[in-house]
Amino acid sequence: MDKEKLYQQRLKRYVTAMRNEKPDMIPIRPFVAEFTAKYAGYTCQQVSHDYNLAFEAACKCAGDFDWDAIVPNMVYVWTGLTQAVGLKYYGVPGMDVPVDTGFQYREPPEDEAFMREDEYDLFIEDPTGYLFNVWLPRTSKYVSPAGQPVTLANNLSFLKGGMAMLSYFNAFGPQIQRLRSDYGTVSAIAGIFKAPFDILADKLRGYIGLTIDLFERPEKVRKACEALMPHLLHTALSGADPDKNVPIGFWMHRGCTPFINMEQFHNLHWPTLKPIIEEIWRHGHQVLFYAEGRWMDHLDSFLELPAGSIVFHVDQDDVFEVHKKIGHKFCISGGIPNYLLAYESPEKVRQFCKKVIDEVAVDGGYIMDASAIMQNEAAVANVKAMTEFTREYGVY
Amino acid sequence: MTENKTNKSVPGICLSWEEVRKELPDINGDEALFKRIWEDNEALAYMYIWQLVLSF
Repeated sequence: MDKEKLYQQRLKRYVTAMRNEKPDMIPIRPFVAEFTAKYAGYTCQQVSHDYNLAFEAACKCAGDFDWDAIVPNMVYVWTGLTQAVGLKYYGVPGMDVPVDTGFQYREPPEDEAFMREDEYDLFIEDPTGYLFNVWLPRTSKYVSPAGQPVTLANNLSFLKGGMAMLSYFNAFGPQIQRLRSDYGTVSAIAGIFKAPFDILADKLRGYIGLTIDLFERPEKVRKACEALMPHLLHTALSGADPDKNVPIGFWMHRGCTPFINMEQFHNLHWPTLKPIIEEIWRHGHQVLFYAEGRWMDHLDSFLELPAGSIVFHVDQDDVFEVHKKIGHKFCISGGIPNYLLAYESPEKVRQFCKKVIDEVAVDGGYIMDASAIMQNEAAVANVKAMTEFTREYGVY
Repeated sequence: MTENKTNKSVPGICLSWEEVRKELPDINGDEALFKRIWEDNEALAYMYIWQLVLSF
């Protein structure tokens, strides 16, 4: 079939499901990361450190699997860039971890948190200034702290880091076009969003530090989240799909129970998250809630959002229960357990996919995918089984 | 969204044109052009730091 015609068919299928309606068949949108390397014959080091190889691996999969949409490079962290900047917090394949292990995030110990407990006011007053002046010198081994002598390494970190980022981001346009013109494949998401609370937890205070802060200085935590809100909204919208077809990816990390309790969720996390989602929706963009972990306790809160404003991706929750709870209002994706795709037989994969199609996808509003991002533990035969069975059985 | 009045950071900007303008000589040309291009480049610096935090 003509690739543009195929692309338009797939785009319509994918968008129809995301609007919680019934397309011609169930769209398949696997978030394949290091799986692409395994399939295309690359190491994790290769696809992490050379984004052109990562693009090649994604294209190889797009050509060989009948998938409606993929992320142009789900091994998103280009470690060539993080090395140019001098970021300390990555475990790089082939250097810090084995060549065939995916890159790792290394959270510093509590007493070396990238933001100290007594720096909340400084951060709240000027988040961008804080990131440049305090955070970056701590996270980069090259950047000099404010007031310290400028070094060659400092200057090169900004020059190489800035140019590397532009080089990388500018390469996505041709990659997206290649997926469309050569394979008829849709780029699954556009733009990035994270919750204010998660940014504090992931990159500033660390999980342990933030947990203590929630009890010892909750008002500071709230104000820091509020200070982050306009910036995270701005960044999300600046990368969003101008055609308003595909959603902004929202990577949900530490805002669910048991990382925090319900009171903390309702008093702090959700009030600083919900207004951003509503504002993004007012701009006409859906948000993909990539709900890593278990979020069942919070589905009632998500139901407060306008119908169709989000796509809810199921990781460790029970996809059948999630569908019963929120399927009338939002499209659901995922829910095929990664252990099944890694360690069980293709027949067991087909059986589980059948159950999901029968019970969750029956009225539309479902997108086939694994529960979590597929790294190189996913078996090729099982991913093929998931794809082929969905195509055969998932026709409306 | 309610604006945080104590937050000096403006989304998309690191150094505002208004602050930079104070240090520049008199402008006899199109100041709006200078301001627009300054802010376009500011957006790149802003993207750099916030993308490091969000994406990397």
